[in-house]
Amino acid sequence: MGRSQDTHDRRNRWLWMGLAAPGAIWLLVLFVAPFYVMMAVAAGGVNEFFQTAVPTWNPLHWSSANLSAVWHDMVGSGAFLGPPALRTLLYSASATVISLAIAYPVAYFVSRYAGRRKTLFLILLIAPFWVSYMMRMLAWIDLLQQGGFFNSALSFVGLPGHTDWLGGKSATVVLGLVYGYIPYLILVLYAGLDRIDQSLLEAARDLGLSKWRTFWRVTVPLSKPTIIAGTFITVLPMLGDYFTNQLLSGAAGTTMIGNAIEGQLESPGETGQGAVLALMLLLILLIPMIYYAVSTARASREFA
Amino acid sequence: MASAVGEAVTAPSGRATVAWRGRPRGNPWRRPWVMEGFTWLYIIWSIVPIAIAVLFSFNKGASQATWQGFSTKWYIGNSVNSVLHNPSLHQAVIQTLNLAVLTTLITVPIGVGFAIGIDRWRSRTSTGLNFVMIFSFVIPELLLAVGLFLLVTQALTFIRLGTTAEVAGLVVWNISWPAIIVRARLVTIGRTYEEAATDLGASRLGAIRRVLIPLLMPAIFASAVLVFASTVDDFVIVEQLSSTAPTQPMSVLIYSNVHGGLSGPALNALATIMLFFSLVVAVVGFVAYRWMTRGERTKSSSAALTSIAGM
Amino acid sequence: MAGGNVRLESLTKQFDDVTAVDDISIEIQAGEFFSLLGPSGCGKTTTLRMVAGFEPPTSGKILLDGVDVGNWPPHRRNVNTVFQSYALFPFLTVAENVAFGMKYKSVPKSEINTQVAEALALVQLSGYEKRRPNQLSGGQQQRVALARALVLRPSVLLLDEPLGALDAKLRRTLQVELGALQKQVGITFMYVTHDQEEALTMSDRLAVMNRGRIAQLGTPDEVYNEPADAYVADFLGVSNLMDARVEPGGNGGGPCRVRLGDFVLEAAAGQLDATGAVKVAIRPERINLHPYEAGGANRVPGMVERLVFLGSTTQIFVRLATGSALQTLVRNDGAALPYSQGTPVSVGLPADSLRVLPDPGVSVAEIRDKTLGDQLLDLTSTTSS
Repeated sequence: MGRSQDTHDRRNRWLWMGLAAPGAIWLLVLFVAPFYVMMAVAAGGVNEFFQTAVPTWNPLHWSSANLSAVWHDMVGSGAFLGPPALRTLLYSASATVISLAIAYPVAYFVSRYAGRRKTLFLILLIAPFWVSYMMRMLAWIDLLQQGGFFNSALSFVGLPGHTDWLGGKSATVVLGLVYGYIPYLILVLYAGLDRIDQSLLEAARDLGLSKWRTFWRVTVPLSKPTIIAGTFITVLPMLGDYFTNQLLSGAAGTTMIGNAIEGQLESPGETGQGAVLALMLLLILLIPMIYYAVSTARASREFA
Repeated sequence: MASAVGEAVTAPSGRATVAWRGRPRGNPWRRPWVMEGFTWLYIIWSIVPIAIAVLFSFNKGASQATWQGFSTKWYIGNSVNSVLHNPSLHQAVIQTLNLAVLTTLITVPIGVGFAIGIDRWRSRTSTGLNFVMIFSFVIPELLLAVGLFLLVTQALTFIRLGTTAEVAGLVVWNISWPAIIVRARLVTIGRTYEEAATDLGASRLGAIRRVLIPLLMPAIFASAVLVFASTVDDFVIVEQLSSTAPTQPMSVLIYSNVHGGLSGPALNALATIMLFFSLVVAVVGFVAYRWMTRGERTKSSSAALTSIAGM
Repeated sequence: MAGGNVRLESLTKQFDDVTAVDDISIEIQAGEFFSLLGPSGCGKTTTLRMVAGFEPPTSGKILLDGVDVGNWPPHRRNVNTVFQSYALFPFLTVAENVAFGMKYKSVPKSEINTQVAEALALVQLSGYEKRRPNQLSGGQQQRVALARALVLRPSVLLLDEPLGALDAKLRRTLQVELGALQKQVGITFMYVTHDQEEALTMSDRLAVMNRGRIAQLGTPDEVYNEPADAYVADFLGVSNLMDARVEPGGNGGGPCRVRLGDFVLEAAAGQLDATGAVKVAIRPERINLHPYEAGGANRVPGMVERLVFLGSTTQIFVRLATGSALQTLVRNDGAALPYSQGTPVSVGLPADSLRVLPDPGVSVAEIRDKTLGDQLLDLTSTTSS
């Protein structure tokens, strides 16, 4: 049937192109073009007087001044971009690992064992989606304040309850990242695990595998694409996060690369360097993004 | 009849019986208490802080940490600081609604058109466009926000920073919701219904209008609800593209005032209002979705989630 | 509306490297019930879709009442389709589904309800107007799909394996109903199926298709009793195909003499002037079993291998001395059977029932690609009254 649809669709090309046009134009103008502008600014100069960025539109005239400045800031003497970059990786990695460790069992339970209460659990799991990120962070700010519940609870059980959790602790930022991004991960894992055919697991049990063996040798391999997809959806946006740190810490010791980008963009004269940094991040993310896009595109077509 | 684990048990007649691994340990059908408990713990950890934050928006005092009694002063009571009376808070609420409605109204139609068009227009260009759309789904919002900021300030300067730029950016950021969700549903629906429609006399466009769109309505609605909620919540793009105070929605206001500025519970009140908006739209959307799919209760409703999950 | 003559001239459809329909020519008379029969992949559905307009032909013509509609889009042809999956619009009621196409026929609103009611009455679903498709059973959905197509009074109705998703008993009932319905409305039906019982039961004429070509076109009687080749013979019921060689020396215009192993038999049906290696076929109901010692013409010794009780008949598997395995049928008329497993018998293959078929170039085993279950089904169906 697939082939017959192709001959069919070719007759109506213009219709399909027309339908897709507004979205396509919007994407090209407001998603693709900005990156070219970013490149022009990154490779551009500075208006000495106003300290504003002056983009260089012609690729032939692109300068690498900003690039070397950033490079210097990363590895040269007095480099200050190194730590945020490393911290970004560290925070994202820990947050993702912790999120996976929490999300997988929860998703597994709800998809396989929830039975009649599945809808109830799903609603409870989806609820954080509707709660804005701001509110979720606000919630923790309230709890972690000096006089807040968390410290009171700690002192209640005899542990020291005077720590300033919001004053620049890595743990707090990682917690915030986990709390903020985990709902997406749970949902993705749930969808994938739910899709696994029960009869495959039953066949494994029938052939003699114990529950544990079935899990490791059948369920986990089958859910690998989902785990990978979920990890991508969690890690990639996390690498550009800057507001979690701002909200839950605000101190210089926990900044991520996102903070650095933002900071430079807003500093007079350093917009170009901010653009360079942003592009560098984009470059690093490009390969995983392409990988994710390819596998998603393929999957949605196979689903037919 | 005792036996070593793994040894075939032979009945007195000499033939092996079925139970050959010895008696099973424990009840194989027991409920997975540990996992269930863990799940509940997660749910509590996930929801309780939010409940507390909502609670504190009704705090009588100005603290976000110590409960001082119930009051609605932060919403309507206090003549200076309540949301109703404080102009900047007030404006922020309006701006949030404004952005959410405008963005949804624009994003959903062009997203749906995009989904249908890309699904059927088989060429390199369409695959490329599809990739671009998926990129927009998975890229850190900061990068897009920076790009848009530079675009608006350096190139397309006729779009000045402010509501127009905010909406433009929000549309791009959210277009992947209807594109992915509707596309997934499209793939499940297949071509037969449209063929039946053309067979009965409808033109191509007529078939889309009378048959495909109604079939897609649940997905369209679901994506509209998601776009709305996502916009209410959005912060990064809006912050970059905002200019003066009236163009700052609630999310930006909260962010800029978290470390000082407006008193705590007022922020909680704002956040609770945001929550309320999203929730209302979600409930309406859910009810509408169930009503629309009352003719077909199948597993295909999870098609969108599954496609995002890469399976 | 008179008309409904369909003529396909040298119709071909190619998909990239695959030729799905290979130069077929058929003429279907107005008001005829015509079936396209064949296994999956033989091109019958593609042919139907070309007539419907969902597929442009690669070459050849499709003439509806003399007009070449090959490149017309589906909505402009006065032809309607009943789909295998029914394709009822789930968001509309039954009445709205049936009325769907009427919008394009400029039927005044007042008329619509009347015609919808008539169409539903025709398929015996009066009173179901307000139901939704998901509240109907498979058979009922099928009828709504029929009503939806018939209400538009097409010249030709195309049916794509419409009974495929139904259970056997319901299928039998609907087969009879469909046949009666067609006679009642007088519209040309073009019916696609892989089930030979359906095709034989309902059709005025049928075309057996094989790999994009027509193997044989004729009435059910012709196709069943006078199959043109081994493929057709074996597709329609059990054929008991055997390899044989024509005896040299000619037959002088009389029956053909064929050699099966050590035995020479006379065959009086089929291609009597064939030479060399051929296939011979005989329908199970024509085989006679005689006691081992009895003599007679066209007899081959054999042994009863297995007896299968089928209710109204008993199926007997016999192994000939030549090595071939045959099936035969005996009615259960109350008398005990004079043989059981292992009984030696003399198998009578009457000359006028023994058919010579050209060798299609493949072995008997390759043609006979059906499971035992299919063979049983064939037997029970071709002998059901």
